[in-house]
Amino acid sequence: MEILRTENLDKIYQDNGVPVHALKAINLTINMGDHIVIAGPSGSGKTTLLNLLGALDKPTMGKIYINNEDISEKTKKELSDFRLHKLGFIFQAYNLIPVLTALENIEFSMMLLGFTEKERHKKALDLMEELGIRELADKRPNEMSGGQQQRVAVARAIVNDPTIVLADEPTANLDSDTGSHLLDLMERMNREKNITFIFSSHDKQVIDRAGRLIILKDGRIV
Amino acid sequence: MLFKLAWRNIWRNKRRSLVVLGSVIIGIIAVLFMNGFMNGMLNQMLSNQISTNISHIQIHKKGFNDNKVIQNHIPDADAVEKKLSDNPDIKAFSKRVITFGLISSATNSSGVYINGIIPDKEKEVSIIFRQIVEGHYFTGDKREIVIGGKLADKLEVGLGDKVVIMSNTPDGTIGSEVFRVAGIYKSFSSEFDKSFIYIPLETAQSMLNINNRIFEFAVVANDYKKIELVKSSIKSGLNDNYEVMSYKDLLPFLVYQIDLSKESMWIFNLIIELALIFGIINSMLMAVFERINEIGVLMSIGMKNIKIFFMILLEGLVIGIIGTVVGLISGFLIMLPLESSGINFAIYTESLESYGIGAVIYPTLSMDDVLGVLIMIPLISIIGAVYPAYKAIKLEPVNAIRYV
Repeated sequence: MEILRTENLDKIYQDNGVPVHALKAINLTINMGDHIVIAGPSGSGKTTLLNLLGALDKPTMGKIYINNEDISEKTKKELSDFRLHKLGFIFQAYNLIPVLTALENIEFSMMLLGFTEKERHKKALDLMEELGIRELADKRPNEMSGGQQQRVAVARAIVNDPTIVLADEPTANLDSDTGSHLLDLMERMNREKNITFIFSSHDKQVIDRAGRLIILKDGRIV
Repeated sequence: MLFKLAWRNIWRNKRRSLVVLGSVIIGIIAVLFMNGFMNGMLNQMLSNQISTNISHIQIHKKGFNDNKVIQNHIPDADAVEKKLSDNPDIKAFSKRVITFGLISSATNSSGVYINGIIPDKEKEVSIIFRQIVEGHYFTGDKREIVIGGKLADKLEVGLGDKVVIMSNTPDGTIGSEVFRVAGIYKSFSSEFDKSFIYIPLETAQSMLNINNRIFEFAVVANDYKKIELVKSSIKSGLNDNYEVMSYKDLLPFLVYQIDLSKESMWIFNLIIELALIFGIINSMLMAVFERINEIGVLMSIGMKNIKIFFMILLEGLVIGIIGTVVGLISGFLIMLPLESSGINFAIYTESLESYGIGAVIYPTLSMDDVLGVLIMIPLISIIGAVYPAYKAIKLEPVNAIRYV
């Protein structure tokens, strides 16, 4: 079942007044439960595409449909709401809130959705148990390793049952063993929960595990 | 959880937060101290005038206050006295003969306000008997006189010395009498000490040849806060031949000065509050710029701008509330001992006494000052956080999450 479609997606940045054509006529379709990796050399437009698919940025031209909903024309407030309900994010630098514990980081987006404290506590702890990170519940990010932080970030990304999880170079700051374990975890979530994952990466082990590989070069799919 | 996040964000940079809190606390202490000091000084000026001479309310023949001539005596003193005695809101009253005259010693002379008083009754409306520093108050001798220390110095007289008082009588002749100095007082005002003398009422009446006429009733109400009500009730019982004046009518310049000083304190408070606002803006801006990446993440996971805005205002508010509580407690701890012991400005005695304040100033905190701090400081803390909060929500998540 199709959950994401782009039509002639273009993105032009202004870099010190000079227009930079970062993406050119991107057309792609992603189905539910896909495990997509967007790969390509630096400057090929991977992150730009991920930002557009993640409703963090707006295209210069073209359309993005998620669940048949055109997100390219939405206001900032609507996009914010859309991200909260439909998307999950995993960042290269983990980006957990440093003053919150692992459990609170996971609970945070549930709080934004209006879950009661009891509900979010239970759901977050159950998920941590499932991901094997229950013992990290009371630890703050600075008390965890990079791999542990990224596992918590995965939990944060999927706790609200998003339609799509976007992961921007999730293994870039991890050693290969830790990265491999993290990918195992995300593969399991993809398989068991049918969550659609879209990665951007040039890490070989991420690319090797891709269900479908999209290669970008100079802003175009090749 | 928003509060938890705001609270922890405040303490993630303890030194910076403590510096901001310190400035808020010092600002509050400064506001409380300055307001308390000004209140104390102004209240002392007023209460010294009231307790030494003016009393709460005065009753005269209409026009006497503007034209203190001997012809302007109270038309029917007995009737007024009865009305005052029957009024339950009046604590005490005393009759006075008041006129201008000349006091002379063997070496010098000076123009003075002659106050003919009933010594025992006067004790109930004036504290002059408590301010005697040499000799004693009236003992019943008709030739006793109580004068101020400054006047005694000018006349070069001491206890037991003879002085002569002269004043116009209603028929245009000069009435005079010899007195012996029984007591020398020192009030809060050196100007008052130079010019107010006290003699027994009956002696004043015989010297001025006015039989049992008087010129003034000095009245003290039971409740200081109800003076204007008491004034109205007295006025309603008297005809148009009388003027009933509260201390506000009798000391318009002083009341105006107090109002003006209170207004100027608002300006002082405003300056401190503005300084605090800029301190908070600066600190909160730094806090926002340090967390650009984090704010980007919050935006990415769907936190709405209004919540981010509110979270940063909450951080400002929490700083304001902590600062207010600690500042008020610290302010009270500093002010309460000073309220009872006073602050001794011995080196400025001369100038303070010329304003009728006295060398020791007792700071007084009013409920308005405390309420002002309770409302204003948290409010300005929020105001100080508005601009940083605005800057935060103006961030684009796509740029903010990549900010290093």
